[in-house]
Amino acid sequence: MDNQIVDLYLNDPKVKKDWQAFLTSLNITNFAANEVDQIDYTIGIYNGDDLVATGSVAGNVLKYIGVCNKGVTNGSRFNAIVSELVNRQFAQHIYHLFVFTKIKYSESFQHIGFSELAHSDEAAFLETGSPDVNDFLAEIPRVDGQNDKQVAGIVMNANPFTRGHRYLVEQAASQNDLVYVFVVNTDASLFTTAERFQLVQAGTADLDNVIVVDGGDYMVSYATFPAYFLASPDQAVTYQTTLDARIFRNVIAPALNIKTRYVGSEPLSRTTNIYNEVLNRELPPAVQVKVIDRTQTLTSDQQVITATQVRQFIKNGELSSLSDFVPETTAQFIQHHLTPLQTRIQEGMNIDGN
Amino acid sequence: MEIKETAVAGTLESSDIQIMISKAATGIQIDLQSDVEKQFGDQIRNVITTTLNALDVTAAKVKAVDKGALDCVIKARTIAAVQRASQTTDQPAWEVL
Repeated sequence: MDNQIVDLYLNDPKVKKDWQAFLTSLNITNFAANEVDQIDYTIGIYNGDDLVATGSVAGNVLKYIGVCNKGVTNGSRFNAIVSELVNRQFAQHIYHLFVFTKIKYSESFQHIGFSELAHSDEAAFLETGSPDVNDFLAEIPRVDGQNDKQVAGIVMNANPFTRGHRYLVEQAASQNDLVYVFVVNTDASLFTTAERFQLVQAGTADLDNVIVVDGGDYMVSYATFPAYFLASPDQAVTYQTTLDARIFRNVIAPALNIKTRYVGSEPLSRTTNIYNEVLNRELPPAVQVKVIDRTQTLTSDQQVITATQVRQFIKNGELSSLSDFVPETTAQFIQHHLTPLQTRIQEGMNIDGN
Repeated sequence: MEIKETAVAGTLESSDIQIMISKAATGIQIDLQSDVEKQFGDQIRNVITTTLNALDVTAAKVKAVDKGALDCVIKARTIAAVQRASQTTDQPAWEVL
């Protein structure tokens, strides 16, 4: 039968080989383990013995969608595959989906109810379902007369919140009427999303013009910027951060009247360094980028403050110099939760990344 | 009926319509996407709104992606989505049909 959809089990080597060969024939060639391993399930359509359409899902992201239109109405297999993936996700109560695709396919997705959040020269990033970006923006607290105020934004993972983060927020707060601190929502760090959020709130509670907000799926999330969480080649980082920066510039900043984005100078992390360069290239003139010099926040013995170093202290149980690196609120949290944090590290949580 | 959660009915295939219903504070808000929006947009919105009224839904956010569905299909998909969203699939609302 035409358009009969079947499950493809990629752990069967024969199926996986056919699947790869089919996608390769459509110029989808990235089968790196860190991409393929994330796939939750894969479906396909066969015509006789030949695979003629396929699509996969990883979390809330549709991936590896490829369709051959030979001999059928253009788009019918594509619609069948995407319908099936979308319906299966909805059945699992995942109502909000994303897709990264080549720019030439963006229109096909828009045709079936996806809306484009941003695109670069090569790639487009789209979402469908609910709650969408408008719902996300509507939930963010506003202040009276926000459109006449000077508003700034900072995005941070804060794993955990350090004196370096604090200095960045203080600088922004002293130079603006209102500062939004967006905390990265993806839960892939030593400190959980709830813990990171709470520590940023506690560490900035005394600054009246700072609003701490969940960054949702739109700022440095696993959906927009997986390379932040997985070691990836520079090219992938540039490509993903370009889309991330454009979402901020085109969608987030205008809705909240954010005119300046603050970032810390980044001597130590390659990925974050590339991200800062891309922000500098993409955001102006709509949004100014202010780089705050990190060396302004050396510890008493001239070390650069990094959250990476703090995680190292936790691993080794050396809490003596902790308060040089983190504010009192974070230090207390670490002292009270040292054992569970160390357990997470022992259980394999990577602490050398971001 | 009260919309309790997000729910969907229908597909994106030709002659069908996919209807997603989610909670809203007040009023019915319809976001319709259709190739025949110019010719039939008002009619499609009208069928959805009438069906929602018949089901006593007063507050909902509807996202509809139409692929050329006939009125009876639009109506059926809307009813199915509402019943799923209001967790009443065990009591089919026959009289609305």
